This record gives sequence, structure tokens and C-alpha cells, in this order.
Amino acid sequence: MTWCRRGLGILVSVVLLLGLPSLAWGAENPLGSGSEVIAEGHELFNKLCTVCHGVDGAPGDRGPAMAARRRYLRQTDTELFQAIQEGIPDSEMPPMGLPEDDAWRIVAWIRSLRAKAIDVPVDGDIQQGSNIFWGKGECGRCHVIRGRGGLLGPDLTNLGAQMSLNRIQEAMTVEKPHPPLGYRPVTVTTKGGRTISGVSKNEHNFSLQMIGDDDRLYLLSSEEIDKIVYGKKSLMPTDYDRRLSEAEFRDLLAFLSRLSLRRREGSSVEPNQAP
Amino acid sequence: MIAEMSNRAASIGRVLRCAVVAGLLAAGLLAEEVTYEQLLDPPPENWLTYGRTYDSQRHTPLDQITKENVRQLAPAWIFPMPGARRLESVPIVVDGVMYVSQPNEVYALDARAGRQIWKWRREPARQRGNNRGVAVLGNLVYVSTPDAHLVALDARTGSMVWESEIASSEDGYWSPAAPFAIDGRIIAGNAAGDYGLNGWLDAFDATTGERLWRFYTIPRPGEPGNETWAGDSWKTGGGATWLSGSFDPELNLLYWGIGNPAPDFDGEPRRGDNLYTESVVALDAASGKLKWHFQFTPHDLHDWDSVEIPILVDAPYKGRLRKLLAHADRNGFYYVLDRETGEFLEGVPFIDKLNWASGLTETGRPVRVPGVEPTLQGNFVCPSTSGATNWMSPAYNPATNWFYLAVKEGCGVSYKSKQEFRPGGFSYAATGYIESPRFPWQMFVRALDLTTGERKWEYKQVNSRHYGAGLVSTATGLIFAGDDQGFFTALDAKTGEPLWHFNTGTRISASPISYAVKGRQYLAVCSGVNVVTFALPAGLETD
Repeated sequence: MTWCRRGLGILVSVVLLLGLPSLAWGAENPLGSGSEVIAEGHELFNKLCTVCHGVDGAPGDRGPAMAARRRYLRQTDTELFQAIQEGIPDSEMPPMGLPEDDAWRIVAWIRSLRAKAIDVPVDGDIQQGSNIFWGKGECGRCHVIRGRGGLLGPDLTNLGAQMSLNRIQEAMTVEKPHPPLGYRPVTVTTKGGRTISGVSKNEHNFSLQMIGDDDRLYLLSSEEIDKIVYGKKSLMPTDYDRRLSEAEFRDLLAFLSRLSLRRREGSSVEPNQAP
Repeated sequence: MIAEMSNRAASIGRVLRCAVVAGLLAAGLLAEEVTYEQLLDPPPENWLTYGRTYDSQRHTPLDQITKENVRQLAPAWIFPMPGARRLESVPIVVDGVMYVSQPNEVYALDARAGRQIWKWRREPARQRGNNRGVAVLGNLVYVSTPDAHLVALDARTGSMVWESEIASSEDGYWSPAAPFAIDGRIIAGNAAGDYGLNGWLDAFDATTGERLWRFYTIPRPGEPGNETWAGDSWKTGGGATWLSGSFDPELNLLYWGIGNPAPDFDGEPRRGDNLYTESVVALDAASGKLKWHFQFTPHDLHDWDSVEIPILVDAPYKGRLRKLLAHADRNGFYYVLDRETGEFLEGVPFIDKLNWASGLTETGRPVRVPGVEPTLQGNFVCPSTSGATNWMSPAYNPATNWFYLAVKEGCGVSYKSKQEFRPGGFSYAATGYIESPRFPWQMFVRALDLTTGERKWEYKQVNSRHYGAGLVSTATGLIFAGDDQGFFTALDAKTGEPLWHFNTGTRISASPISYAVKGRQYLAVCSGVNVVTFALPAGLETD
């Protein structure tokens, strides 16, 4: 686990992202949600909307970001379409009055920013991404997928259905100020002189529950602990855009975005048939 | 001190010493994989299956808490389960980690500190019913869900490894029973017979979740037993599998109690004995094929599910060592069967107020008393539909050779009507019952001689009218019980005398367990919304 100790870490808690209501993306959009439509929408947005909004959906001088972590009032395809075409009353958002297809293209792109990764078409070689995950990227040292992998970081089995593509990308490239709850790096010295490093799952004055970097669970009472030293940073590395080539990064992202329990095959049986 | 044995440990009992040594080898680590061999012979400190052992005796070999020191037993920790209503979960403990559940949720707790290690949660579109606990095998934790799925979780992290459908929630099914782990397979049942939904028992591959066999509790046309259903009534016959069972690894037989027939209170549309409702079935664990069955209440009219946990004991019966199955049925009779053949050996009432049968025939069939069947105006029947006992587990102590159980005395008034079956999960009970004002309900703990059913003692749970806790028996001659007033009580297994009690403050509706971590023995029981544990105060373990 020296790799993990070298200061590299863990995806941020996925819990924050759960529970945002949304209609099935693309269901109302006459152009659908294909990658071509999204790319066209992206281009149109950067050309037409960046007077107020930021480029690529970032926050702009006069308009908000397109996919910040907030509850947007306009969530469905139709609501977004109307906001573009008719503007938003009592705000600086003007009616754009675009050709309808162009408005729908922009809608498709905005929805892609907000959708869970599994619902967004991605470029990249998923098999190559898997190879990087378990090989060069060393992700599997700390993360589990379907029971395989390390335990220091969150389970990624359902990642694509839980996080947006943006969030996944961000987790691999942007350093967080604090390690998330349940993943705080910790090194414990026991009164018996043993040193155990890992992440704290839970703790209190009188006990500490931690996963060691040997992937084992340690349940310690305060009477058994001599010293606790906390790591200040998450163990999750955030330099994947630098340590991997552009193609490798794209492949890894493609692989991660497809991780989902939704489409598991062979997991259920016909209830009314004898074997 | 993780890797050093304390001086104190040197003086405690033999069994706990073994537990301590095992604990020290594990050195505070998460459980290594739980093997089938461990399930066959669980280490004293662990509670690995619903009934602790496959014979469901709920008897712990731990010997730290005794009749002498039990008065000093005190709460160790309390874990309130967020959003819980009335917990019925039986915790499982593996090497210092407790797994406890409620519908759609499983928690892994530090069994010494009561602190959460992980939590798993899902929110299915449809959900019903309670949850009675998890099973463990390998490094997976298994739970069934309110939308009738079986889910396997990684014991280390709580992340889902696979999920399989037991039955369709769209049809109205759910699955409240704790799954049951045997060699490489997980047994899971479903509910609800009261909706006219036919039950079954499934075996799933423990590793992959693939279904290996299914036993239908209501025989289909062409299968033996289908003739016990008039016309097409078998199609909506019920027969749920809403509680766990027991297992004899030598005979490789699973023993499972089957629920009531539907419509519950109107027998007219389903004339016949209605197999295998109100029966215990012995199934070959490899194939799910029926080896034998014994029906406690043929053509039941009172919703007396026979799901109560069967206890397996090898004991002398009339001078010969027999493989026995003991079962206290909701219909008020205590039964002893030969579990190799299903032969009926003994059957006596374990309640005083029983008016629906005058006795049992030589083959164990009840001799009915006319005039107690449900009617439009209502008929007086004892026991009531809620039964003489229910889901709370009985216990057996090999030293006394007695069977201990929670008993409800009291009667009801049962009504019937005409009702059409409605698909999709709607009641098909054809009316129901009320508590009889003439004989209000009263809860007891009773001890019965294993082979004769003779009552040895009873402990009246004053003011308790509704079902409380199941029981746990200890090697030191204690029986732990709970009641609807919230009292958790230690009884002398020999006399029934209460030796200690604690008021948990909320109704106890689950069965307790006992385990040990690092040389300290605990009792644990779900009470109301809490998991409550007890131990001797630190420093007093060796008194």
C-alpha cells in the first residue's frame, strides 16, 4: 500500500449527488441525446451563450454555471428549452428565439453535463480504461468493483449511475481541501507498539473503527490506543490528467462512466418458472 | 492491548478462554471468511446463524454470565437505528462485528463499542413488511428485501455484490425472513400468503446469486398434494415462507414451517387439507425435493401460520436415541416428530385455553371441535388468530432437556366473509379476528419437557398482552426473555425465577443473542428502534 501512502487517494463521497430528481434525459428532446447532438450543442452554447455564461458551462459574468452542484429550477428538457427560447422572467436571461433544433441541441448538451455518467455517451476505449484502472492507474489498489479491489476508497461498482461525468473527472483532477467523512487518513500506534495506517471509518473518544492499508478492519478501544496521527489530505490522487496521457485518461473515464448496477445481466430469475 | 492477553483472561472459563485466544489471533481484525465448517460448529463467541446453530437451539456455550453474577448485568451500548419502527432483526456477530438489519438497510457495527462501520441502504419502488435479519457466508452478508430480492453485500464494506429476485414485488410479494446460509447456497423465502400469493423456498448460489432450486409450498397440478385443493383454489392458496428454518447437515435436510392457506378465514373455496400449508416440510438441501411433510392444522381456518422455528435435538425417546424435531405451533399444540421420517411421536397442548380440537389422533391429526370456525357473526376460538406462539424463537437447553418458548394465552372472535382474489398484492383474508373480551391475551415464558411436552414452569409477563421477544439459553442455566412492556429479563432455566431485569423502555419484538468480544460476554436484543446490548461491568467478568 505504499502507493496509497504516497499521498493519493479517494473519490469524494458519492452520497452528495444522490436524490436529484430528473426526468429521463433525452425523452422529450426530438433530437435525442446522441454524442453528435451533444457536441453540436456544446459548440452552439460556446458560440451563442458565453456573452453571459462561462465557456463550457462554467459560471460567467452574468449567468450561472450549467452544472454546478445545486438544485436547478429547470431540470427537464422542455423546461430548459423554454428557458432558452422564451427567457426567464425577472432575470437577465433573454429570450433567444433560436431555430428550434439548435435550442434542442443546446438542451441536450446541458443535460449531458448534469446527467449521471452512465447516461452520457462517451468516447474512449472501455477495455483500455479497465486495463488502466487495474494496471497503470493503480485505482484498484484502493477501490472495489464488484468485490474486486482495495478497501481504502469508496466502492465504485455503481459509480456511473451515481455521479456525473464532470464529478468523476473532477475527483481525479481537483484536490479537495479535506478528506471526506469515513475516508480520513489515520495512523494509530497501539499500546502494544504496533502501527496501523489506513482510513478512519468512525471514531469517538472511546473507540476507533478503521480500515488498515492491509485492507483489514481494525476495531480498537481507546484503552488499546497509544497515539493517533491524522493525515491532512485525502489519499485520492488528483493528478490523473498529468500522470496519464490524454487518450489514457479518456479511456479510464469511459470505463468509470460505464460502471453501473443498473444493467447487470443474469442477476435475476424468472419468478414463476421452476428451474 | 491488541496482541497481548490480559491477566484477567487467564482466570475465566474454558469456553471464553478459547474465545479470547481466537480473538487474539484475529487481533481485532474484521472477520476472516465465514466458512461452512464454522456454520456447522460456530465458535462460542460468534452468533453466525439466526438460531446460532443449524438446529436452532439458541443455546450459547458462553459461560461468563452466571446465575450468581447476572444481577450485575448492565447496558453496554445502545444503537438506535435511524428511521426504524419496531425492529424484529436477530443480529449476527462475526469476530467482533455485528450485522443487524431493518427493511432495506443493513448496518455493520463494532460489537464492542456499538459504533457504525458501514451502512447499506436501498430504496425499491415497492416495499412491504418487516425484516428479521441477515445471513453470513464467505465474505458476504445476505439480506432479503421488502421488494422480495435477495441481496449479497461485501461484509467488509457493505457494497452490493449481487442481487437476485426471489419473487415479483409487482405481484405483491416481499421477503421478511432472515436468509439461511448452508454449504455454498443461500435459502430464502417470501410472503404473503394472506394475499393469496403462493409461497416458495429458493436456494441461490452463494457466490453468483444464481437460483439453484425452488420448492413450491403449494403443489401444482400433477404433483402430489395438489388434490388437497378443491378446483383451482391451489392457484391462490398462500403458504408463505416468512420465517427462517433449521437444517440437519447429516441428513442434509432443511426443515421449514409453512404459512397459512388463503383465503384465511373462508375455507369454502378451498375444501381439502390444503397441503403444504400449516406444515413443516423436510427438503433435500441439494435438490429442494420434498422428503416428508407433517401438517399441523389441515384445512386451517384461523390463519395459524406454522412458520414457528423447529428445534432439532438428538435425544432419547422411549429408550432409543432419536433424531427429533420439536415444534410449538401457533395452533396451541407442542409436537415432537422423528426428523428422519416425519413420524409423529408426541403432541400436547402448551396452552390452557384451547377449544378448537379435543386432542390429536395417533398420527397427530387434530380432532376438531365443531362450532369454532369463523362465521359472519363471529365465533369464539382459542387460541386466537395471533396464536399461542409466533415468530419469536424458542430455545433449548441440553442440560435441562427442556424446550423454552414465549406463549400467548387468550382467545379471539373470528369472522368470515366472501372475498374475490385480486392480483397485485391485496388482502385475500376474507375477514379476520378480534381479541376476545372474555379472555384477554396474556404472555408467558414456559418450559416444556422436550419429549413429553410436560410443563415444567411458567413465568407470567405481567401486563404483557402482545408478542415480545424470543429466547436465548445459556450454558450457565439462564434463559433471557423480553416482553411488550420493554423488559429484558434473565430467568433461571431450572425454575423460571426472574434473576435480573432491565427496562429498555420500548416493546421487544425480536429474539436476543449472545456473543463475546475479547473475553467479554454480551447479550444483545433489538428493542423498539434500538439494538441494546448488555455485559457485566468491566472488571467484574471474572467474579
